[in-house]
Amino acid sequence: MDRKKHRIMMVSDFFYPNFGGVENHIYYLSQCLLKLGHKVVVVTHAYGNRSGVRYMTGGLKVYYVPWRPFVMQNSFPTLFPSLPIIRTILIRERITIVHGHQAFSTLCHEALMHSRTMGYRVVFTDHSLYGFSDAGSIHMNKVLQFTLADVSQAICVSHTSKENTVLRSGLPPEKVFVIPNAVDTAMFKPAVVQPSHSEIVIVVISRLVYRKGADLLVEVIPDVCRLHPNVRFIVGGDGPKRVRLEEMREKHSLQDRVEMLGAVPHAQVRSVLISGHIFLNSSLTEAFCIAILEAASCGLLTVSTRVGGVPEVLPDDMIILAEPDPGDMVLAIERAISMLPKVDPQVMHNRMRELYNWHDVAKRTEIVYDRALKCPNQNLLERLSRYLYCGVWAGKLFFLVMIVDFLFWRLLELWQPAEDIEEIPDLTLPHISNKETLQETE
Amino acid sequence: MDHHLASDSPQVRPRWRKVAYGGMQPGFDDNHTDESFLEGMVMNANVVRRDMLKVMLDSVSISEYLCIVALVVLVWTYTLESTIDENRLLCIDVSLLVSGFLILLFTREKISLSILVHHYFLNISFFIMGLYVLAPIYQTLTRSISSDSIWALTVSLLVIHLFLHDYSESTVNAPGALKNPALTSCISVNASVVASVFIASRLPSRLHVFAIMLFSLQVFLFGPLVTCCIKKYSFRLHLCFSISLMVVTLSFVYMLRCLLFVLLLSLLVFVNVVCPYWLIRIQEYKFEINGPWDEAKLCFAIRD
Repeated sequence: MDRKKHRIMMVSDFFYPNFGGVENHIYYLSQCLLKLGHKVVVVTHAYGNRSGVRYMTGGLKVYYVPWRPFVMQNSFPTLFPSLPIIRTILIRERITIVHGHQAFSTLCHEALMHSRTMGYRVVFTDHSLYGFSDAGSIHMNKVLQFTLADVSQAICVSHTSKENTVLRSGLPPEKVFVIPNAVDTAMFKPAVVQPSHSEIVIVVISRLVYRKGADLLVEVIPDVCRLHPNVRFIVGGDGPKRVRLEEMREKHSLQDRVEMLGAVPHAQVRSVLISGHIFLNSSLTEAFCIAILEAASCGLLTVSTRVGGVPEVLPDDMIILAEPDPGDMVLAIERAISMLPKVDPQVMHNRMRELYNWHDVAKRTEIVYDRALKCPNQNLLERLSRYLYCGVWAGKLFFLVMIVDFLFWRLLELWQPAEDIEEIPDLTLPHISNKETLQETE
Repeated sequence: MDHHLASDSPQVRPRWRKVAYGGMQPGFDDNHTDESFLEGMVMNANVVRRDMLKVMLDSVSISEYLCIVALVVLVWTYTLESTIDENRLLCIDVSLLVSGFLILLFTREKISLSILVHHYFLNISFFIMGLYVLAPIYQTLTRSISSDSIWALTVSLLVIHLFLHDYSESTVNAPGALKNPALTSCISVNASVVASVFIASRLPSRLHVFAIMLFSLQVFLFGPLVTCCIKKYSFRLHLCFSISLMVVTLSFVYMLRCLLFVLLLSLLVFVNVVCPYWLIRIQEYKFEINGPWDEAKLCFAIRD
């Protein structure tokens, strides 16, 4: 059965040349969708002087729209002026589905709003967990309610994230699919020669910020070093809490037992990981932790805090969970050290190859796209009435915003008709155009 | 036997598990919503159920402070109209000081006469001497500014002081126990002191200025300490004190101006009756959600 081929536009503020969970997710998902025969285009804001159209591996076309990032890598929220450029890209590339990523990205929300006005099907993926009670979260949830009031389907990266998204946005749970991230197991292979067990090395790689539990590290590392004289720590990553870790090192004279590497570029993460036996993750909140997958793929035993979606990520024999409390974490590390002789990194790596696979993620996402295209195309009045449920005042405000957007779109249709916009022919690379080669590699 | 098993297997599918690994779970779609969906959610776990009577009794401390400020403004008005002369004002000051000390002595459990003499008495005398020496500066401070600006500024400063005042019990603690006063309570204390300085600068003689400054600063700086001690000692005493204060204030204001009396009375009724009722009504809409998605709270203090 030949599935219909989609033409997908991925839109988010977060993409290469930045490295992170969302960026990697978009890149790998796009590559796997390209291999399945779909066409994928990525739209993001300009990074430095990297602006304009670029082509990446596999023919992935990236539009770096010339807007400067405003705060925390987000572009400036301009409600309506982004409509012309999004419309032009959608018509030129003959897009059928728009896929937005990350609730924190203003570009994503704007693009999804304009796509819905123009009648395209829209899918949204949420990558983070948010609270409900502080001022920032309340505003963010209101914006999310606006965007998701009229979305075709939604994807979350873990079941806890699905519960969180459903509560924040009021979506019916049947509309939300749970498709986790995956890891590139070809890149994260265990070391050929295992480091010896005479000295146990615990690796920590994370941004050293409050949210990632750097304060827990400051309490845990001295206790573990005191209780186990043969344990060494390697801490990679940088951030505002690095000063506290350096102070802890000085105070307990652990300079030879705790090595601080500073920021580790993505290409060198594997070499840092394979020098260790245990991976420690102390984050206070995590929707889905890709760092744990990378560590497990390299054959490390993981010790992590039991927060958010982390309990769902790995089976119980590959991860040891602890409460976000220093005493409990020290006990968990002790249990990990005692479990270490039974762990075979190559066996763990092979298991990870079975458990997580980007091609599987792409196939499941394809099912979501098919489902999105089957959604009935409602007319304007039915769609607008959905916005009125967002709140007493907010609903009416969103209603007005969408009406203005619709009128602006109609004006653009008159001023710059769709027939005048040139459609781009597809760039076919040799390995995609040859169907036999595709079936051979599968 | 195997044939029976083979015919049974399409109906028995493995149970759905809340895990993310292993790809799509066989027999279930990715958007399958299990019965265990949202079972970790806890609603309104930390919400305090409030009782109308208790809220009304607690709001008595707010109206008590409002009456204290009203009395201060009254004394200012009488002094500016020269109804109270400076000697009378000095008598009021001394009687306030002495009664304040007596209240502290009786209501503080751990206080002894020696601590009283050494700590409080010495500090107060330094304070009074300092005020007396600096009085000439205040006297000529606003001579070139018109009276209207001064009254407008004073009123706005007093309003800021009332809004930002720390009405909970931790305003002024025992000496040495001042832990991290909030920014707003510092601003409110400063606003009240500046308002007193403005009023004092309008008075004719040095003794006037000294007396009114001493009175205002006594009330604004030490008043919260005294009321806090009374409240800690006995709630009944606090209630009697507040109600008698309200009655006294209302009668004095009535003697001054009828309109102000009506305003003050309506303000006290609003604070004591309308606001508690409103709070209890809107508490029903409180919807606090907690669950496994919350950011973990650190159980230890971060020592920098």
